[in-house]
Amino acid sequence: MDKMDNKVLKVENLSIAFGGLKAVDNLSFDIDEGEIFGLIGPNGAGKTTVFNCITQFYKPDEGDIYFRTNTGEVENLVGKKTHEIIGKGLVRTFQNIELIRELTVVENIMVGAHVEFKASLFNQFFRLKKTRQEESRIRKRAEEILDHMGLLSIKDMLVAGQPYGVLKKIELARALMLDPKLIILDEPAAGLNDSETLSLVNIIKEIKMERNCSILLIEHDMKFVNGLCDRICAINFGKLLAIGTPEEIQGNEQVQIAYLGKEDD
Amino acid sequence: MNSKLMNFYKSHKPYSQFLLFGIILSLLPLLVNLGLVKYSLLTTVASILIYSIVALGLNLLLGYSGLISLGTAGFMGMGTYLTAFITADLGLPFELALIISVAVPMLIGVLTGLVSLRIEGYYLAIATLAISEILRKVFVEFDFVTNGFSGKQAQYPKLLGFLQLDRNGTYILIVFFLILVMVMMHNLVNSHTGRALSTMRGSEAAASAMGINIYRHRLLSFAIAVSFSALGGVLYMHFVKYTYPNAWILMLSLNILAVIVIGGVRSISGTILGAFIVFGVPDLILKRLPIIGSIDGAAYIFNGLLIILVILFYPNGLINMRFDIQRNFRKLFKRGEDLNG
Repeated sequence: MDKMDNKVLKVENLSIAFGGLKAVDNLSFDIDEGEIFGLIGPNGAGKTTVFNCITQFYKPDEGDIYFRTNTGEVENLVGKKTHEIIGKGLVRTFQNIELIRELTVVENIMVGAHVEFKASLFNQFFRLKKTRQEESRIRKRAEEILDHMGLLSIKDMLVAGQPYGVLKKIELARALMLDPKLIILDEPAAGLNDSETLSLVNIIKEIKMERNCSILLIEHDMKFVNGLCDRICAINFGKLLAIGTPEEIQGNEQVQIAYLGKEDD
Repeated sequence: MNSKLMNFYKSHKPYSQFLLFGIILSLLPLLVNLGLVKYSLLTTVASILIYSIVALGLNLLLGYSGLISLGTAGFMGMGTYLTAFITADLGLPFELALIISVAVPMLIGVLTGLVSLRIEGYYLAIATLAISEILRKVFVEFDFVTNGFSGKQAQYPKLLGFLQLDRNGTYILIVFFLILVMVMMHNLVNSHTGRALSTMRGSEAAASAMGINIYRHRLLSFAIAVSFSALGGVLYMHFVKYTYPNAWILMLSLNILAVIVIGGVRSISGTILGAFIVFGVPDLILKRLPIIGSIDGAAYIFNGLLIILVILFYPNGLINMRFDIQRNFRKLFKRGEDLNG
């Protein structure tokens, strides 16, 4: 917990095993405030498992995850309930988009601010003043975010049937509702074409600039990672290979071996 | 004046629709008194409306939260016995009986949920089935309160201690509660709790990540469903004035489930439509047909066939038929215009 100045997240000696398989093995890294941090590695390297440990979907066997919350205090996330995490200022997206088909686009985004709603059940049953105020305030914020992403025209359409690129943006929009300190993106560019990827890069850069938050992302597309991230952490078989700037990582021999295999002499 | 009313109607949808529906339903006793419709129709419609209230609760549970309860009948039955005991045996006012008879089943429901909702899957269905059977056994065995198989009686409700309702008055009270429940349902599913329930049903991962306490919301929706069942039971008791153990068997719970499947999951109007089909068609139409009317259990065959057909052609319920009807109407009109022009 020492030295959390300028750090938003500090992962220390994180380990988790499934049966005999060590999915994450003694992994440590930290993320600065306002940084875009990439987590890369070959398939099955344990990237998503690291995300699930940070957001407490999985309970790590060992290690600590220190996070500087909305209020500026440093808290260990390990042992917290999954649904408590977002309230601390840490929000995530999913590799396989997790949106609700039966809700409209704007309703899906309003779910992102769920913890901000305070109206009682009785108040909601009769749609009293507090419910109406909260609804309109948060709907307005959702529409602003949609407008920013150029999706305002589809706000009242159902999510079911929207194109993949749009779904990715909607999920990202949902993550912005509470002005988080750290956004965790699980393969945001997977399945997108070149122009969609480019538009996503710009959106992520804008988010970082305007909202003054940090971003942690997993990605396979190396061009995407190199163009976007300030620092990159490469892992393989749950173990740390290297941490550094995109240039350092590209030049790292171990990373090259992990990705491309070793050349036989 | 007329256009003003029309504007009010349009700008206050769906509340104005609910109100209009309530007003139309309230005209039924008048029609009976004028001799335009049969006396027994009022009983049939009243029971349909009561089952609609119960089914709305189950629709919140099934359609929005993705949970199944098979204990609907048991909790409804508990509502009938409690209110009969409190008003008839203890002589306490109807309003107090209403509150207690809804609160106690809800409490038992919450206790059931506390145990069975922790685990994922269909444990709620099994637990509620068990509770329902236990309750039915209680209705039979605790005969010093329940009169066992002979059943228990109650009277039409007396409101505020002096307003003694008759059959028509009780019917209007049922209509009032149905409209109230419809409004409450509509408001809830369009507020943050409703969205949270839908999110939980669609993706538990997304729900947890967005800060939705899944266990709490499961419990909440189950508690609401149980209290609507119990409310239906209270209204049933004071309209039918008689309850007995075998009225509250699994068959009734399954029929309420059929209401939702046939009428429309996640739809208030669909639930009402489903209740009219499942509890109305057998009584009002099937029994009057030659040959079919004399078959015992024709209603079960009818419901069974209907469920199969609905799932094949309208998997989200018959209420979605209206879109097809609208489309065909529009086509018809267009063709007419083409021919004219």
